[in-house]
Amino acid sequence: MSSTRPPGAAGAVPTDCWYALAASAEVDRRLLAVRALGGPVLLFRTQAGRVVALEDRCAHRAYPLSAGALDGDTVRCGLCGFVYDSDGRCVSVPTQSRVPFGAHVAAYPTLEGDGLVWVWLGEPGRARLHRVPELPWLTEPGWATVGGTVGIEAGFLLLHENFADVTQVPFVAPEIAPAALADAPPPLEVILTETTVELGRAFPASPLPDWQAQMLGVAEAQGATVQRAFFHSPAVWTDHWDVEHDAGTARMRFTQLVTPVDGRRSRLHWRVSRDFAIDDPTAGERMHSMFGDYYERVRAAMETAQAVLDLDGPGPEVNVAADVAALRVREIVHGMLADEGQPFTRDPNRP
Amino acid sequence: MAETRPTLREHEAELVVASVTAVAEGVRELRLADQSGAGLPPWTPGAHVDLVLGGLVRQYSLCGDPTDASSYTVAVLREQESRGGSAFVHDQLAEGSRVTVRGPRNHFPLVSARSYRFIAGGIGITPLLPMIAEAEASGAEWHLTYGGRTRGSMAYTDLLAGYGERVTFAPADEVGLLDLDAILGCPGSDTLVYCCGPEPLLAAVEALCERAWPPGALHLERFAAKAAEAPATGERAFELVLAGSGVTLQVPPDKSVFDVIQDAGISVLGSCHEGICGTCEQAVLEGEVDHRDSVLNESEQAANDAMMVCVSRCLSDRLVLDL
Repeated sequence: MSSTRPPGAAGAVPTDCWYALAASAEVDRRLLAVRALGGPVLLFRTQAGRVVALEDRCAHRAYPLSAGALDGDTVRCGLCGFVYDSDGRCVSVPTQSRVPFGAHVAAYPTLEGDGLVWVWLGEPGRARLHRVPELPWLTEPGWATVGGTVGIEAGFLLLHENFADVTQVPFVAPEIAPAALADAPPPLEVILTETTVELGRAFPASPLPDWQAQMLGVAEAQGATVQRAFFHSPAVWTDHWDVEHDAGTARMRFTQLVTPVDGRRSRLHWRVSRDFAIDDPTAGERMHSMFGDYYERVRAAMETAQAVLDLDGPGPEVNVAADVAALRVREIVHGMLADEGQPFTRDPNRP
Repeated sequence: MAETRPTLREHEAELVVASVTAVAEGVRELRLADQSGAGLPPWTPGAHVDLVLGGLVRQYSLCGDPTDASSYTVAVLREQESRGGSAFVHDQLAEGSRVTVRGPRNHFPLVSARSYRFIAGGIGITPLLPMIAEAEASGAEWHLTYGGRTRGSMAYTDLLAGYGERVTFAPADEVGLLDLDAILGCPGSDTLVYCCGPEPLLAAVEALCERAWPPGALHLERFAAKAAEAPATGERAFELVLAGSGVTLQVPPDKSVFDVIQDAGISVLGSCHEGICGTCEQAVLEGEVDHRDSVLNESEQAANDAMMVCVSRCLSDRLVLDL
């Protein structure tokens, strides 16, 4: 099989997976540089509007193509002037009429959907055997979405295990959690498949948090929340919170798009979508700041955990029954690495 | 804090038989479609699902397109000595029938390699079909030897003929039994062997690979349980500690580890109760496991770090599971 990974790819990150490297709106006729899976990736849009992902390093010398220029659908290196087409083939060099035989940079399969740009950094032929999860609330009418991007100095698996452990929310962010979560967490249902983990639980009716009662315009209302969280792949966690209140159902969708930058750094594109108060800009601002704070706290907690691992290495861990989802996520990721033939250790938190 | 012990279950969906196609003598292909609109979970080559057929639960490999979120495809041979499952599929299921499907799960994953030798016997072709598509997409070298009783009894020969010389068809009535010495005689480097078929074929391939191939090169899947006998002296009792739950239990000679865990009110997954589906696998922290399953291979069993609690037991007095 050909070597198609970006140079310097981290060993233990699953490559057979579509990762959401950017929002569709971020990719245009400029050259966008992104790091993923231990290597540099260049994104741009062709004149016809197709998204192109190339290895962001000139085949001639160490220099990012993103520091060069887009000319039609080709990219010219800003240092040596090598020109590459949208398939990564070198099509001209300034100093000779013949192009060096086989000179190219890797070109990665791309997909666009639900307002996101998905890139396949694994074996290109296998891309068509895998699908991306459907996240219709990100673009469908009837929903309003806020979001942001957080760079996190922690491995991607730490993030996923955090999302899998929904019991952490009241400790990390007490004010956004339903009142019922803190004192009497309802029993968790965990639903497994070969490649996915789903968590579900139903909270009894309790007073809505202030922010939500205000946005819904139902002061002092009671609401019964049903939560369903999904691990779709190493790239995506979604979390559904549906609140049945006195005046209807308010739905929220949390979309957490994880990109392993390398073995111990990640990028999190987070989105919070709601189907209430969708035309109210202050509601959007409030949600942006509230959940922006929440993901900032997740970042800080994960970086602290990674720092412990960096300093003292993985240690024995005590698991409790409620960890079953997080452990299953770890098992799925380890299975992917094993199937890809990647060397890895089964150390906790170090994929 | 209140108790938050989770309940654990596998994904389950009621699917509708969208089509039934005869793909060989005695073999029916079923396309099982999702009607809920929720979409079906993704799977990878080698995965299987449970079909709940009346009071029976049977495992069938997925042999369709892994990117199809709207349906699963299985192919079922009518077994001469059916234990009820294949007869139910052939006699009771028709277009429009509803079937409960659990899973998918995968204990036969395709591990990345430069080269593959696939060996299929009869209906054992089913898990290999998506593997072959993936090997082809990966640009790997591969070869399939596909044996069967007669050409007419072999499913998907038209599809496979499209791969040309990479597939050798070996109907027994034309060429005799598979020449395994020729197929497996010279082990290749960075080459994996994937085999699925009837027990005599699996046993012969296992024996050959043990002699000549590096450990771990052979991957196979059993459709029926390997014969595992209870010791002549009878089953023994032992103590069972569930470390994560903080519970100590007793396993009497006449009860399985699985039943003892369930009876203690702790949620564990289980499906076939014969040691073939791999659903009830648990991590072992302590104790000498008496493996009776057909899922773990020899080296996995020797590692003593996992067991199928539906059939396997313990040779020492105390078994500690990470549960």
